[in-house]
Amino acid sequence: MTEMGSDDHRRTGRRGVHAVRARLPAVVWLTLVWVLLWGTFTLLSIVGGVLVAVLVSALFRMPPLPDRLPVRPLPLLGLVAFLLYDLVASGVEVSWQILRHGPRAQGTIVAVPLLSGSDRVVTVMANALSLSPGAMVLQIDHEREIWYIYALGPRDRDGAERARLRAMDMQRRVLAALGRPEELAEAHRRIAGAGARR
Amino acid sequence: MTPVPDTALDVASAVLLLLGALSCLLGAIGMVRLPDLLARLQAATKPQTLGLLLVLAGTALRVELESAVTLALVALFQVITAPVISQLAGRSAYRSGGVRRDLLVVDELAKELPPD
Repeated sequence: MTEMGSDDHRRTGRRGVHAVRARLPAVVWLTLVWVLLWGTFTLLSIVGGVLVAVLVSALFRMPPLPDRLPVRPLPLLGLVAFLLYDLVASGVEVSWQILRHGPRAQGTIVAVPLLSGSDRVVTVMANALSLSPGAMVLQIDHEREIWYIYALGPRDRDGAERARLRAMDMQRRVLAALGRPEELAEAHRRIAGAGARR
Repeated sequence: MTPVPDTALDVASAVLLLLGALSCLLGAIGMVRLPDLLARLQAATKPQTLGLLLVLAGTALRVELESAVTLALVALFQVITAPVISQLAGRSAYRSGGVRRDLLVVDELAKELPPD
């Protein structure tokens, strides 16, 4: 009996440790936001931040994440740099459309293959795609692994194809930073295929 | 505070603020000039976001470091939230027929969500 009891106890203990470790990133992030909001790096604001973060993450439990993402720091930094560049390019590109075409501006909606099965990677991709010049995600069809992307600017089929390739390339960049190796290889294969067809 | 002369900081800050204001102005012109909701969403998110980031950067140069990090938070949440809003608005507009289909060169979503 004692043996069983201690084993059970150890198991719940381990689960408790696991739960705390799973909540740790959320607590660190919330504390950081709290401290940045106060704008003062004092002991009081940091301790207060940790208390609030623990309380918030205990009250609003997130569902456990199904998969661990392989985070590659260097490609991730590259992705952030590319997104910053893309944001500037995006502002300039849309401004150009506004000034050059105005009321006669045209757009396109293209179907692009969805290259990842992870919800979190798809979320990052959707955000990244929405920062790229004149583009945004309109619809995601999970079952058939397609997303529909709107782009402002293309005035012919070639332009639409360029928008499609750009979306593929953005997915490749996100996969390089956060994707599983086989997903990244698949992305390279498809982009090479699309390039060869043109 | 810093070895950089104040005038250089002032000039850099002024340039960033003016560029940011210009970008926001272009976004506003786009809201008036562009033909439909999807295009206007682009004007509302792209030049607007760039403009806000430039204004924040220009401001960050001229305030205390502690206030500047709070501005970084503003920039982060702007970049994270703007695409979500534009996607929600864009999708509902497409479904409810608020999109000028004659302005689309290619529309591969039409097969999936036929117009009413």
